[in-house]
Amino acid sequence: MDYTNQKNPQNYSQMEDLKTLDLEESVSETIMRDLKMIAYKLKYVLIPKEQEDNGKELRNWDLWGPLIFCLALAMTLSFKADSTTNSSKSDVFAIIFVLIWVGAFVVTLNAQLLGGKVSFFQSVCLLGYCVFPINIEAIIIAFVGSYLPFVVKLIPVIICFAWSAYSSVGFMASLVPPHKKKLAVYPVFLFYLFLSWFSLIV
Amino acid sequence: MDFFQEEEEEEHPEQKGCCAFLTIKYYQPYFNVSEDDVIDRVKASFLPFRKDFHERVAGNPDLWGPLWISATIIFLITAVANINQMNLEGQTTYSVAYVPQSAALLYCISFGTPVILTLVMKILGSDIRFFHTLCLYGYSMSILMPITILCVIRNSILQWCLVGYGMISSSSFLIMGMRKILGDLEQSKRYIIIGIVLAMQFSLYLLYKLVFFKVIEKNSTE
Repeated sequence: MDYTNQKNPQNYSQMEDLKTLDLEESVSETIMRDLKMIAYKLKYVLIPKEQEDNGKELRNWDLWGPLIFCLALAMTLSFKADSTTNSSKSDVFAIIFVLIWVGAFVVTLNAQLLGGKVSFFQSVCLLGYCVFPINIEAIIIAFVGSYLPFVVKLIPVIICFAWSAYSSVGFMASLVPPHKKKLAVYPVFLFYLFLSWFSLIV
Repeated sequence: MDFFQEEEEEEHPEQKGCCAFLTIKYYQPYFNVSEDDVIDRVKASFLPFRKDFHERVAGNPDLWGPLWISATIIFLITAVANINQMNLEGQTTYSVAYVPQSAALLYCISFGTPVILTLVMKILGSDIRFFHTLCLYGYSMSILMPITILCVIRNSILQWCLVGYGMISSSSFLIMGMRKILGDLEQSKRYIIIGIVLAMQFSLYLLYKLVFFKVIEKNSTE
């Protein structure tokens, strides 16, 4: 199989034709292909310059990426839970997990209720991929946080929060009528703010 | 202008049908507001004895406000309560359990109480509109936003004063909002409703103070 074609969005549909060959390939090939797809989408979502086709690539939504980032974030934050919180590790994991999925669900529902015509899973997919910067900041703070004063910890948190919010705001704002833009965008800010707060303190 | 202004039946054709409330279209009429409307409504809800809120909402209750004001308050409670837990040495144990606790408290009160009130008032024969009550309750929560931010200050007396003020303000806001509906009822039934409203607000603010803002008596600052 020729993986160099994956960089080009038009060839994505060609991948569909090769599905029948899935059963014949080794597990590592399948996993690598999925990982490359996730990496491609991630670059697409987080680096605004890649979006030349106004978000059409998002129609090929998948929930693997969001699941991986959600699990990674929940595990990172529950890693040190015993020492920094008076909840158990499983409590922290559960709260973060539920927060991400319920949050993405409610934010998407909000956009739809405001009149946005968007596929539900497309939006959840985007919100899930934009959790990746929060993941980065959680890992930074988990490993070096105890050596840094509170104020210094704020810097990566603010940068990553701004990056997440900026990446998803463009898409969400384009979904709803102009006079309701801020009503659709504010929940997105609140969602990432919540996650950033947790990565800061836990 | 009357807050519980009658809407024409024909305005909401998507609300017909037994399972209509399970569709998104059922709720879409209640999201017909712009950001300026929402900000005006929130500002108006801080002043319970003026008619601004009712003039702004009349005929167009919205659900965006109740939903996201409560979500904002959940975040603020979590953040401020965690800040209150910080002690100056930097060794702190935070509590993430505040998230489900505050979510349960706020959403039960702001969505559960209108359900109870609507049921009770319909039994008592009053003509109450459910979504208007929901809107009223949702915006009555907005006083908790500045109160929570001010509760960063770790002073027991101040926090109790803020909580007391919040309770009086939101209760008056709710009762003023329901004044016309209450006026249609008999005297004794009126007091039942006012009693329910006050009891729920009292329990909300009491739980809010006791669960999230337990004051730390001894600060290790010496």
